[in-house]
Amino acid sequence: MKSEASTVGIIANPVSARDIRRVVANATSLQITDRANIVLRVLAALKACGVERVLIMPEAGGIRGHVERGLMRATHRRDALFPDIEYVSMPITGTVTDSQTAARRMAEAGVAAIVVLGGDGTHRAVVAECGQTPIAGISTGTNNAFPEHREPTITGLAAGLMATGRVPRSVATQANKRLEVSINGDQHDIALVDIALVSERYIGARALWRPDNFRELYVTFADPEVIGMSAIAGLLCPVSRREPGGMYLRLEHAATATQTVQAPIAPGMIIPVGVKAWEPMRANHPIKPQPRAGSIALDGERELSFSEQDEVTITLVENAFQTVDVSACMQFAARHGLQVGDGTERAIKHQALE
Amino acid sequence: MSDNPFPLSRDDLLTAYRTMRTIREFEERLHTDFARGDIPGFVHLYAGEEASAVGIMAHLNDNDRIASTHRGHGHCIAKGVDVKAMMGEIYGKSTGSCRGKGGSMHIADIDKGMMGANGILGAGAPLACGAGLAAKYRGDGGVGISFVGDGASNQGMFLESLNLAAVWNLPVIFVVENNGYAESTSVDWAVACDSYVDRAAGFGLPGVTVDGTDFFAVYEAAGEIISRAREGGGPSMLECKMHRLFGHFEGDAQTYRAEGEVENLRANRDCLTQFADRVTEAGVITRAELNAIDGEVAKLIEQAVTEAIAAPLPTQTDLTTDVYVSY
Repeated sequence: MKSEASTVGIIANPVSARDIRRVVANATSLQITDRANIVLRVLAALKACGVERVLIMPEAGGIRGHVERGLMRATHRRDALFPDIEYVSMPITGTVTDSQTAARRMAEAGVAAIVVLGGDGTHRAVVAECGQTPIAGISTGTNNAFPEHREPTITGLAAGLMATGRVPRSVATQANKRLEVSINGDQHDIALVDIALVSERYIGARALWRPDNFRELYVTFADPEVIGMSAIAGLLCPVSRREPGGMYLRLEHAATATQTVQAPIAPGMIIPVGVKAWEPMRANHPIKPQPRAGSIALDGERELSFSEQDEVTITLVENAFQTVDVSACMQFAARHGLQVGDGTERAIKHQALE
Repeated sequence: MSDNPFPLSRDDLLTAYRTMRTIREFEERLHTDFARGDIPGFVHLYAGEEASAVGIMAHLNDNDRIASTHRGHGHCIAKGVDVKAMMGEIYGKSTGSCRGKGGSMHIADIDKGMMGANGILGAGAPLACGAGLAAKYRGDGGVGISFVGDGASNQGMFLESLNLAAVWNLPVIFVVENNGYAESTSVDWAVACDSYVDRAAGFGLPGVTVDGTDFFAVYEAAGEIISRAREGGGPSMLECKMHRLFGHFEGDAQTYRAEGEVENLRANRDCLTQFADRVTEAGVITRAELNAIDGEVAKLIEQAVTEAIAAPLPTQTDLTTDVYVSY
């Protein structure tokens, strides 16, 4: 089997950023063509680093068609702007399963990294299946607490520099925490940023925007600069992505609470959330939530519901998965002159295909 | 914690279930009776899509107006049109909603705010704009809602209506009921722009996509969108992704669908089953209560059919009545 060591995967979710937060919180809706353009920018960056082959998740949401137009145009112009593209051979369901299947297949194929376009939910789906394959996240979702906000070309360059070995993996990647939720002993799901327990017992429109229903919150990191549920903890007791441990908070109605946090829980939505108590969360120590029934929101979206009969535990795990440290890669590249030539190179864009 | 962790009261949950069950029973019965050759014209059944009509209409009153589609029975029932009058109409009898002269694709009841099913694809959208304009002029907080399928969403009239609603900031909601097929053509082949949220954005409208088989997803999203329109926030688009359990029309051989597709949908994606599971597992409503509703609805539909069959046809003298209607 051909070595995939310098192959990079791309998983671009066509349906992130489509939920009710467009109406309740004036959130962004990134268009399909914008997502396709991001994929093309990442492909160009990967090629510029010497990545010759990219595996892409197939989807029927429209990104592929636009990307292929871009590739066709480059071929007609005889520009060697992009690497060879291969789509993962898998059924398209139009659901989160697609991101999970693609991540699993890419990890099995041994790709050097997976570039992910989506919000926190898409990244969670990929992390659930990619094992220790590093992911490079690009925000195209609603609440993007997990992926950094950055020009995707740079993310593509960092992933490419790592994939081709020009930045050593020890420099290029970093370990991340995650939360695991078990119901009746079975590990049910994971979260990368936060798990919120809410009183609604239906999944409904998924998003969280009614703080009176918030009951508990668990976070892997609490950053006052991010948006979403994690911001509640971030504004009260910051915990970085890199330090050990997380936070556990008990929430209550703001109207009767003795302590409230004005938190940006969704884009443009800054509301008071009542906080009853908060304490650090240690790794590998499962916590049993106090509410006996309700819904469990993973990274800001209601995904599971549980009843009085269910035994729920939430556990923080450290060193759970790897991400590409874009900043470290680019700083290393600058320090070692990786992008600096002697003038004999020509921009790849102008190398005619033979 | 509240005993009822749902956004509707127990009574409203029971009503929502009853309405969805009524639509399903109505359509299942038509499926059987049409195959027997008892019904004139064409019928397009709404079975499988009930959560959309009921989740949206739960937020409306008789003052709000809707414009429906060729697949309009569910919208009519959810908007409160009398089920027996509807059955009479579909059977072409003088007891029908339109005295038997409209049939399945023209059922209307202005008193209920139901401006009509519509045999012309996309033609409901400008009507909803008209209703929205009237509500805006009157300042009564009313809204106009246009239902459209994924196929008809490509019609010029629909796209012009998006523009009109946006430039006049009308209290109009465009509901795209995306069941995946325009007659037999897959949405993947026929809708440019790929995402309805993108399409809405092209006209400056916010758009939201929900799982149209989940009553609570539709209910929550519709509630926010309709409030926005009532409060002067302007038009929006709601895409409900859903499935139909029958063909495009009755008699459609459905050769374009995968083997086992419909069976799989019935087993795993049935909005009625999902609703029943949620409310019973939460202990808010019992299976016995739902079963009792099922029995009452079955009886109602049986009566509706019996009465429709027994009712007289319109006569020759009815031909020139009701041609013009003053509102």
